[in-house]
Amino acid sequence: MSIQVELTYDMSKALGQRSFELETAATVREVVAQTAARFAEGDDFDKLVRCTAVAVNGVLVNYRKGLKTKLVDGDLVGFVKSSAGG
Amino acid sequence: MIKGYAGRVLEIDLATQTFSFQPLDEEIARLYIGGKGYGTRLLYDRTEAGIDPLGPENPLIFATGPLNGSVAPQSNRFAVVCKSPLTGGIGNATCGGNYAYGMKRAGIDIIVVSHQSEHPIRIEVNGDRDEVEFIDATDLWGKGTYETQEILGKKKAHAVIGPAGENRVLYAGIVSNERIAGRTGVGAVMGSKRLKAISVTGTRKLEMDDPEAFKTYTKEIREMFKEHPVMGSSLKRFGTAGIVNTTNARGMLPTKNFQKGHFDDAMTISGEYMEDHELVGVKSSCLHCPVTCGRDVEVEGKGRVKGPEYETVALMGSNLLIGDLKKVSEWNFLADDLGMDTISLGATLSFAMELQERGMFDAGVKFGESEGVSELIRDIGHRRGVGDDLANGSKKMSEKIGGHDFAMHVKGLELSAYDPRGSFAQGVEYATTNRGGCHVQGASMYLESVGPLTINPQNLKLKADIPVLMQNTACAINSMVLCIFTTYAMFPAAIHDMDPKSLTHRMMSKAFENSGPVMRMAMGMKGKPMLWFEKWLTYITGQTFSSGHLQEIGARIFNLERMYNLREGLTSKDDTLPPRILNESIYETMDSGHPLGELLPRYYKLRGWNADGVPTAKTLDRLQIRI
Repeated sequence: MSIQVELTYDMSKALGQRSFELETAATVREVVAQTAARFAEGDDFDKLVRCTAVAVNGVLVNYRKGLKTKLVDGDLVGFVKSSAGG
Repeated sequence: MIKGYAGRVLEIDLATQTFSFQPLDEEIARLYIGGKGYGTRLLYDRTEAGIDPLGPENPLIFATGPLNGSVAPQSNRFAVVCKSPLTGGIGNATCGGNYAYGMKRAGIDIIVVSHQSEHPIRIEVNGDRDEVEFIDATDLWGKGTYETQEILGKKKAHAVIGPAGENRVLYAGIVSNERIAGRTGVGAVMGSKRLKAISVTGTRKLEMDDPEAFKTYTKEIREMFKEHPVMGSSLKRFGTAGIVNTTNARGMLPTKNFQKGHFDDAMTISGEYMEDHELVGVKSSCLHCPVTCGRDVEVEGKGRVKGPEYETVALMGSNLLIGDLKKVSEWNFLADDLGMDTISLGATLSFAMELQERGMFDAGVKFGESEGVSELIRDIGHRRGVGDDLANGSKKMSEKIGGHDFAMHVKGLELSAYDPRGSFAQGVEYATTNRGGCHVQGASMYLESVGPLTINPQNLKLKADIPVLMQNTACAINSMVLCIFTTYAMFPAAIHDMDPKSLTHRMMSKAFENSGPVMRMAMGMKGKPMLWFEKWLTYITGQTFSSGHLQEIGARIFNLERMYNLREGLTSKDDTLPPRILNESIYETMDSGHPLGELLPRYYKLRGWNADGVPTAKTLDRLQIRI
């Protein structure tokens, strides 16, 4: 199994990488937990992720099963901040 | 005269080199405010159906509104209205910079430029002396927008075109400072008149109904903006390109001519990356704007210049499979200097690249490769070689070469950088917006997909309602004239502070998704002014503007634009999306593309149109639209 995880810019700056791969993660909740574990205590993961939604293959999990959303091999999980552009 | 208006329309005839000052029509001002609304009314009344957009009969209308000339944040914008040479329908664009302020200081609300000059010309207007000078501009013809403005000096406010406008590139724009009235080819119309620049000066002050209330309230709003998560933080820190990582994660970032919605190198074209790696330091803004969404970047050989904004990094970055911000910055500078809309330019380049990939056309450019792009942009601006084809935009190119299914435009205007398959309401907005596939005639995606309180963008709930609300709002804002970014402050900071993973947030989203009846009721309520732009209008003009008033005015403007398009031969068949968007899915949760066919009937009904998309007599009567 391979799950690709993409971070927000602030998260990627703290971790020093834009994305990484997870070998196992059955749900979005597991991805969030495994991502949190990669951050050092001083990075304040909770603050970085607080106003951040999660999307699986571009679709917010808010409209699926939330953190219980199940994952399959090849899924792309992205942390997403709300934003305004032009 | 209603307060907030200078009370004068400057009529300029380029064929006879004559001018006159006429009184502003107060009835039009009451019904359409100013800006785009006033300009559309004039265009409708003064032109016959079927005129050549690049011929002498097409007037070029520069229009301000009652907020211009004040120090209200984001109020230095003017609208340009004419028949579009790109779409054949209504043409309009708004622009920041300092020109709107200059027009009002000159004591002018509207400038109507009629007919054509036989040789390159520029105009200088001194509003204090009521003088208009017609000056030969042969020496400026061929010069870029930056050099032209530098030569014209800083004592006056200028609206200029570059070589793209002169050569009638169908998506050429009009530039003021570093900002551009980019869309629908208004610069080509100015070029067709051989009008290189209009410069205005004056020292008149804006008269307000209640200047003290305006001053006190504006101070309050400046403070609110300063603390707001979008106005005072994300737009200020990262500019509009701060949204790249959001649209990418949502699968909405145009990639490879909209073949995909996700770009692996999105991070390196983002606003955050620009902040860390490319930004020179000073951020730029339009006059009096505290948001400072503009960036300054370093371009080799040019020094510090305006950096690319979101639409540019998407349509000339991810959409071309280019993740090199330095290259995108260079192309952005080139386009600005030539005076071209980077949205249409980017989408036309990606169309040419796909044609190249399929062996249908050879423009010498390929996806993922920056070689040849700079030269091609110059060739487009000067209509040289294959650049002559690309200068006509993707619709006309597809009619000549083929590739209709992947020419990414609506009504001839290339799509902006929000893939509507990830934002169904935005898709309805693209399909129905009178000037074509543009996002700033409503910006439904903010309410629906990318803002702080989103709804499921991929079901049918509210997807026809949101565009009506937002298009009406945008029509009103573009007539005041304010920057459309002001709508980003409509969600208070408390909403931004909510965790989208929380139950409360999900419950609020659900309630929002089911708020159709409440929304429609609120749209019709004419009460007291609540929002900042409603209060500004009220303090300045002395008339009461509530959300209900502005929805009605916005609907009036939108329907008049619709009547203009119908008169020009556009029909409900033009209310569509590119076949790629309708037929191809980019999400595993979708079987096909955007479900426009299921949403349009409801949209027409909400608009008060018949099944053919024609406003009914009752609707026209209700909105007091004289046809």
